[in-house]
Amino acid sequence: MAIRNIREIGDEILNKKCKEVTEMTDRTRYLIEDMLDTMYEAGGVGLAAPQVGILKRIVVIDVTGEDPYVLINPRIVESGGEQTGSEGCLSIPGKAGIVTRPNYVKVAAQDAEMNPFELEGTELLARAICHELDHLDGHLYVEKVEGDLTDVVPAEEDEE
Amino acid sequence: MAENTREIVLDTLLEMERSRIYSNQMIKAVLDKYDYLEGQDKRFIKRLAEGCVERKIELDYVLNLYSTVPVNRMKPLIRCLLRMSVYQILYMDSVPDSAACNEAVKLAGKRKFTNLKGFVNGVLRRIISRKGQIPLPDENADPLQYLSMKYSMPEWIVQLWLGEYGREKTELLLEQLLAIHPVTVRFAGWVTGEAREEYIRRWQQRGIRVTRSEQLDYACYLEGVEGLAGLEGYAEGAFLVQDVSSMLCVEAAQLQEGDRVMDVCAAPGGKALLAAQKAAHVLARDVSEQKVERIRENARRMGLEEKLTLEVWDATQPQESRAESADVVFMDVPCSGLGVLGKKRDIKYHVTPESLESLVQLQRQIVEGSWRYVRPGGVLMYSTCTIHRQENEDMCSWISGHFPFVLEESRQLLPEDGRMDGFFYARFRRKEQPPI
Repeated sequence: MAIRNIREIGDEILNKKCKEVTEMTDRTRYLIEDMLDTMYEAGGVGLAAPQVGILKRIVVIDVTGEDPYVLINPRIVESGGEQTGSEGCLSIPGKAGIVTRPNYVKVAAQDAEMNPFELEGTELLARAICHELDHLDGHLYVEKVEGDLTDVVPAEEDEE
Repeated sequence: MAENTREIVLDTLLEMERSRIYSNQMIKAVLDKYDYLEGQDKRFIKRLAEGCVERKIELDYVLNLYSTVPVNRMKPLIRCLLRMSVYQILYMDSVPDSAACNEAVKLAGKRKFTNLKGFVNGVLRRIISRKGQIPLPDENADPLQYLSMKYSMPEWIVQLWLGEYGREKTELLLEQLLAIHPVTVRFAGWVTGEAREEYIRRWQQRGIRVTRSEQLDYACYLEGVEGLAGLEGYAEGAFLVQDVSSMLCVEAAQLQEGDRVMDVCAAPGGKALLAAQKAAHVLARDVSEQKVERIRENARRMGLEEKLTLEVWDATQPQESRAESADVVFMDVPCSGLGVLGKKRDIKYHVTPESLESLVQLQRQIVEGSWRYVRPGGVLMYSTCTIHRQENEDMCSWISGHFPFVLEESRQLLPEDGRMDGFFYARFRRKEQPPI
């Protein structure tokens, strides 16, 4: 269990393409555990391996705080609909922007034991899947943002 | 002239039995048609017609006590004639009991029910002779029926409130709904300080009683108004009719000067226009051209057209291109209207438990269709003009449970001396999207 350092925009590792995972090793298992810890600690709902400096095709997602998914070598096999809404990224802290994404996606991947499975998601889960998969190919949401980035005000400071 | 006014009321009541037009609209149409009558006659028609609608359950109860034929088996004309006559006997001190009875007998004859003149006379004479000692259902043995009769409220609604508020508060609520309702007006933003006093002085010179609201300095109550269109300030858009509860809802949204606002069920526009005064821009929508036209008329008169964009749009239908475009979204959803029974007197006879169920469905569809317009960190104001847990508090839990919103404040306003409608509002804040 360890919290890893999240790479921020400007770090060129975020623009690189990640490699397929071919076998599960202890080292990779620790990486996955650390990625989940790091994501929860940072208050995010998804994290991709390059965000902690590792160029492997691994992402973790948990949009409810109760359903963590580990996706290894994921690829989108189906998508549909459209959602336009605010999106933020742990690698671009304090900012958000409007991004249009599919409202539904189906992803094929391997789990932490390298068993293949499929996952369907709508709304935020669909958005998170698309966002994380972009990371694996070296893309950030700012390439897709409509309009300007806005500052995200922490909830506590919202009230007068 | 006296027969004439009673016959007008009789025909109005008959028409109400046949059609589904709301009584307040029907009575307004009748008064417009007979605009040439003396003010006194028009007031008589208005009072009698409204009273018969408002007190229908009680009037029927009294008639059933003293008539051999139950009200629901009477000929429609006789039923309406007896209701309006009993109302005069019980509630209109200015009409001698004998006159109420004699005029009813004459009208029965005139309308070809000569054979029932004796029946009408008999029933009304019996009621006159027992006036003041007509027994109500036992207050303690059967509080439900007692309250229902005394305040002419369908039993199921009384039951709903008894469960929610208990006996004492329910009776107070029923009493408040029957109180006389002054007209509430709100001064436009540009009418301030001395200008307000000046309008009030001029209205008072016309014999109108004006009271300032204690809660909002731009609101006041007018009593004894014949028509608003003729009042000083109407044409210039110095004021607008709006209930205080609806103004409080806009205040509770805590609008900022630069805010972009959306009102997805905006007609007739009271909230949208007040919001336009406070914010940068308001997109006001409603479901039909007819409804949007009502907003347009008010916007034009108030000189707020340029801060307002009007659109016909069904709030149940989402529009992705407007997602997260508003700082504040008002959702004043269609509701059972149990809070405005004091103004719309016949709603209480038309709503049914089944219609409430389908309203809740519609309300949910509107929330589903429109919540995305709120930007993360922005405000959703949900409101109704009803007093009904399912449409209010329960809906709030449903919203927090299904969408990324946190309930910050909610308030059930209860009718007050006719000076405020029963109204509910809730302010939600949309959660910031967590970083991915």
